[in-house]
Amino acid sequence: MTSMEARPERVLDAVERGEAAVGIRPDEVVIGISPAFGDSFTKTIVEIPHAEVLRELLAGVEEQGVHARVIRYRSGSDLAVIAHAAARLSGSGIGVGLLSRGTTMIHQKDLVRLSNLELFPQAPLLDPETFRKVGRNAARYAKGESPEPVPARNDYMARPRWQAKAALLHIKETEFVTAGAAPVELDVRIRLADAG
Amino acid sequence: MTLLVGVDIGNSTTEACLAELGPDGPRYLGGALAPTSGVKGTAENVPGVVKVVQEALSAVGRAPHELATVLVNEATPVISGLAMETITETVITESTMIGHNPDTPAGAGLGTGTTVAFGELDECGPGERVICVVGAGVDFEDAAAGIAAARDRGVEVTGAVVHADDANLVVNRLPQPIPVVDEVTLIEKVPLGMPAAVEVAEPGRTVRTLSNSYGIATLFDLDPDQTRLVAPVARALVGNRSAVVVRTPSGDIADRRIPAGTLTLIGEHARLSVGIDAGAEEIMATLRRVTPLADATGEPGTHVGGMLATVRDAMAETLSDTADEPDVRIQDVLAVDTFVPQHVTGALAGEFALENAVALAAMVRTSRAPMEALAEQLRSALGVDVVVGGVEADMAVLGALTTPGTERPLAVLDLGGGSTDAALATGDGEVRSVHLAGAGDLVTKLIDSELGLDNREVAEDIKKNPLAKAESFFHVRMEDGTARFFDEPLPAEAFARVVVLGEEGMRPVPTRHSLEKVRQVRRSAKHKVFVVNALRALERVAPGGNLREIGFVVVLGGSALDFEIPDMIAEAVAGAGIVCGTGNVRGREGPRNAVATGLVDAHAGRAL
Repeated sequence: MTSMEARPERVLDAVERGEAAVGIRPDEVVIGISPAFGDSFTKTIVEIPHAEVLRELLAGVEEQGVHARVIRYRSGSDLAVIAHAAARLSGSGIGVGLLSRGTTMIHQKDLVRLSNLELFPQAPLLDPETFRKVGRNAARYAKGESPEPVPARNDYMARPRWQAKAALLHIKETEFVTAGAAPVELDVRIRLADAG
Repeated sequence: MTLLVGVDIGNSTTEACLAELGPDGPRYLGGALAPTSGVKGTAENVPGVVKVVQEALSAVGRAPHELATVLVNEATPVISGLAMETITETVITESTMIGHNPDTPAGAGLGTGTTVAFGELDECGPGERVICVVGAGVDFEDAAAGIAAARDRGVEVTGAVVHADDANLVVNRLPQPIPVVDEVTLIEKVPLGMPAAVEVAEPGRTVRTLSNSYGIATLFDLDPDQTRLVAPVARALVGNRSAVVVRTPSGDIADRRIPAGTLTLIGEHARLSVGIDAGAEEIMATLRRVTPLADATGEPGTHVGGMLATVRDAMAETLSDTADEPDVRIQDVLAVDTFVPQHVTGALAGEFALENAVALAAMVRTSRAPMEALAEQLRSALGVDVVVGGVEADMAVLGALTTPGTERPLAVLDLGGGSTDAALATGDGEVRSVHLAGAGDLVTKLIDSELGLDNREVAEDIKKNPLAKAESFFHVRMEDGTARFFDEPLPAEAFARVVVLGEEGMRPVPTRHSLEKVRQVRRSAKHKVFVVNALRALERVAPGGNLREIGFVVVLGGSALDFEIPDMIAEAVAGAGIVCGTGNVRGREGPRNAVATGLVDAHAGRAL
């Protein structure tokens, strides 16, 4: 599971289902993706397919017996804003924000926007296993448990090495922002590429 | 009118009591408190003493030159040490059992069959009963598809063991749920081609068949001798939500007692040996038979020998600058049963077992501390007369008697960090005192090891403060079940965590244990040390060992400020008709300042 080459290629089908509503299920986690995630962009900064990222996040939530809902945030590309919006739409108050380049955050609706429960700022260090753990922790917060934070890896070389690319990706992503557009509910299906 | 100050140099704090001595007795002006500088009873204490004296004076607006006398107590010449050793060990041979209790097993029920690797599922014929072992690297969708396909062909896949945290993901994708145990890290060691059973209980329940010896015997058709052998397996699985048992020809789980050596207790009249693995109760019973203790030794080359050597070395080191030839004789020991979470040898999924351990606190009586040298230095530092006088226990009793509502016969219980001290004044001028090993430091150590924290500061925090769980950003559930609401949101790091409610606010406890578990460990540690020692100490000072002869018990010392220890002790002695409570020295100082106050009282001529 550690190497990406061993994974069969999967594609992400995301069908928009109208404006996202506030959930009423206490056992749900809302995953908020950025404007271009899985659409104009298909891979993270280290080339992990978005289909794989979302699949692992959803699997992490499902393994805990919690329900997951995916929304697309359209009016901004700031991670804290996206994660907080997802949390406020979530019946449990727990949301996960996800940027195209891979940066991830777990948020809670009562927190101030610029705070968070767990932040994974160094996108180049996030692998599929980490996304699984993020999904698992989000679900455990939703269940009212006390998960140990996902071990955040840190590489002091990541910033000089990846900063320029990250900045470009951010500018690109920001071009897809539609000012004033409400978040939309997504119907997500992840299927094998050769299965048609 | 003369101005005098009593100073009590304790292990951790130095306290002062300022008073004016008139014709009709002392008039107390105030007190002060500062951390002790250096090791108690050495010249390093001078800065701390100077600090409290100055603070006490400036608090009431008096000048240092008005001071006539400084009174310093004769420090109790005892020091203490701690050691801990595990005495049991769980060993699994031939990978017979998986009982690691993953958070999310899936399915429910019991599955039995022969263990088959996921890759060989295709080779199984219809009608075969198998347990599928899904190794590392198999995706959950593939695993589910493979198991579903095998079942379609008529292979009875009745359960599965999975490497990743995938149990629910697999079961959610099967047409018919089967019990699945996941997160088995060393899955390649699961024996294949052997009869096995997988059991998963409904959420909130525990396994019923595999935790029952006869349940296992029924499943594997065992004879009485074989059943005897699997009994430890069943016992090890009690309380788990999920379990796997594989039947191998000579697989076994052993609950081994580590030969920990014997402890020899040398009394003044008798000499008895007791094995450490007999447990704390037996050790304490033996100690009662040899009391009063003159020394204790451990069997060389064994764990207990090592434990006592550690304690002795630490003590000899502290004593080296106060005596030429440190004479380390152990005057008291307190043994406490505890448990330590440890990795099970031979386990496949990183199982932990709570192994039994014995913690020992030992106390050594030292030669008299060089108080005269200290007094001389104080004299030059403060420029006033310094008088050394008064045995600490006597002074504590005198100070405690200033608590409103007390009279003789009165016993004080001084609950410190290293030792628990008791003294009884009967009213005929005589004070009986005793110093026992084991106090606050031992409680911290027990909390630390039982919760597997490996962090003394966190353990100390847990010991001192009540717990709560942050259920949302605006409310916490206190340990007694009441909710407390906040107008301002709690800090993000406290959310969903067990927190301690300290004086400086709320601090999250880095632990995976539930609030109930942490609370139970904290209370039992306090009970095992302080309640046991309080009763032991009072029995030793009470006339004829009869607690009913003691009228009043005043609890003093740092641990008397604890939010629950005084209540636990009061409850324990209530049966003997004793009035017991936390001291309130001079009606205002609480359990602090008793010795300093007693020094002033004694100097003013008040007798015991």
